[in-house]
Amino acid sequence: MIDTEVLGQFAPEILLLAGTLLLFVLDRAGALRRELFGAVALAAILGAGAIVLADLGVGFLAPLRGIGAAVVDQPVGASALYGFSSLGLLFQGIFLLAAFLVALAAVSRPSDEPGAAVFYGLLLLATLGMMLVAVAADLIFLLLALEITAIASYLLVASPRRDPRALEAAMKFYIIGALSAALSFFGASLLYGAYGTTSLRVVGHSLPAGAYGDLAIAGFGFLLAGLAFEVTLVPFHMWAVDVYDGAPTEVSAFLAGGTKKAGFFALFLVFVGPLLLVLAPGTGPAGTFRGSLDLTVALLAVATMTVGNVLALFQSEMKRLLAYSSISQAGYMLLGVAVATAPALAGATFQIFAHVLLKAGAFLVVAAAAGLGVGPLVSDWKGFGIRRPALGVAFGLFLLGLAGIPLTVGFFSKFVLFSAVVEARGWFVWLAVAGVLNSALSVFYYGRILRTMYMETPPAGSGGAGVGARSSLAWDGLGYGRAAAIGIAAVLVVALGIDPGPLLTAFQSAATHFLTFGA
Amino acid sequence: MTDAFTTAGFLALSGALLALGLFGILTRRNFILLLVSIEIAVNAAVLNFVYFAAFAPTTAEALNGQSAAIVIVALAATEIAVGLAIVLGLNRLRGSIDVTGATDLRL
Repeated sequence: MIDTEVLGQFAPEILLLAGTLLLFVLDRAGALRRELFGAVALAAILGAGAIVLADLGVGFLAPLRGIGAAVVDQPVGASALYGFSSLGLLFQGIFLLAAFLVALAAVSRPSDEPGAAVFYGLLLLATLGMMLVAVAADLIFLLLALEITAIASYLLVASPRRDPRALEAAMKFYIIGALSAALSFFGASLLYGAYGTTSLRVVGHSLPAGAYGDLAIAGFGFLLAGLAFEVTLVPFHMWAVDVYDGAPTEVSAFLAGGTKKAGFFALFLVFVGPLLLVLAPGTGPAGTFRGSLDLTVALLAVATMTVGNVLALFQSEMKRLLAYSSISQAGYMLLGVAVATAPALAGATFQIFAHVLLKAGAFLVVAAAAGLGVGPLVSDWKGFGIRRPALGVAFGLFLLGLAGIPLTVGFFSKFVLFSAVVEARGWFVWLAVAGVLNSALSVFYYGRILRTMYMETPPAGSGGAGVGARSSLAWDGLGYGRAAAIGIAAVLVVALGIDPGPLLTAFQSAATHFLTFGA
Repeated sequence: MTDAFTTAGFLALSGALLALGLFGILTRRNFILLLVSIEIAVNAAVLNFVYFAAFAPTTAEALNGQSAAIVIVALAATEIAVGLAIVLGLNRLRGSIDVTGATDLRL
């Protein structure tokens, strides 16, 4: 009963799966060069990316059209299980970008490390799960895809099998992930009891406004809690800092830049997409329910950005500081769910895209610096910007972008998001105020790192092997993979910071389609 | 016995299972018992699916719930397998599967 047309629609995912299986087989083939495994993974990611971009209508890839999803943003003949929205395809592009940067940078990990093939295989498998999240239209399909991502990421975190810190991080990640999955499954089962179907599309299309009851409300509540773990919302955020700290830094980049974003698309699907179209804001019990849901999500968003920023102020370790900053950024993205208008959704998507470049880039610089002998503390970075000018400038760009300074992509994403929130209506304005105040607060700790990097000199005789060795060559001691990944991210941050035009248009039209998809 | 009564009763049962599982996940110190708690929590959802499917008005609706239950059972098994792999790794490195012993990363 396998339909070739259906298989064709999933061409990018099949490509990733083929890459995964090939890498797992190559692992048994014995000692091969790390670059080979990296090349296989990069080929699968780029191939999948080309198909996704062709489906999105990128001109020069036109010959590839028709391989992947033939019908985008069309409810006609849509399956109850999955569907291709342009927003979903854009998210697939975002996931593939994160996987690409991490796969490229991981080529430069020490070549004597065992399990390189498995590392790349798991990276592709996690990406496959995220790609499936982006096309889900059914709760079970969605949770299954999230679980594929989660299981692959537990193993990615545990991939340095001899490192107790990594295994401990994997254990914590696993426990929280299992807890989150149990809550999500329970929520989905209650929604099935309320609506008689697990298909988000069927629920969204066939039920009249207001068709909900206590079961449905409880179901939404459990789902929100389960997904909140996934995207590190306060008070479900504690695990993220330990996991990002203990995991190999490339994996931290992938978790913060990649898998967390899949959780956000799941939130969009459940709380913004077809499902809540039936619960338009307004009067009556449905409107009240929608209103209290908006309020809950808004409070979560403000709590997340504030707690993340305040705790980041007090961190002395670089990776933990970046982890808290990542938590606060999740608060900004959640504004898109709370406001749930097309411009706000576009702004949140743009913020998510910017965060992939900025946070993955920042973590990759930290990985590169660790390779050069820089310690884990922020104070170990004294003079780094002077001694490694290229890396220093890249790191500075990523931090300024995270703070939302103009001429970086982070400025435009926050600008678009906050102005959409202001435009929305009523008390949503206060959300934008909270967001702007938080951005101002975040400048303190990003600025502190910049000051340490450029204004302070390392104590004499500390002689960090890498930091001490001044090098005019940007890529000296870095490995070309890391240098290329950081370079690409930095160039994109600046280029899109100067002119985000076409990308922003794509996000806006995709968000509009998403809100009306099949309605 | 009315339908409403049985629904409330079953939800109380599955809710109690979920609460028991969550309590175990948060308080157990032995990783194996923690895995058992995870299994209990996940099975609360499975029970719900099976129950709602049994009272579904149409076959299609019933099949939807039953297939969801089977998918979740398979997923839970996969998850436990990965959990056991992590336990084995930890045990090899530390000689203990006590969760509290893992304190290199402070909270």
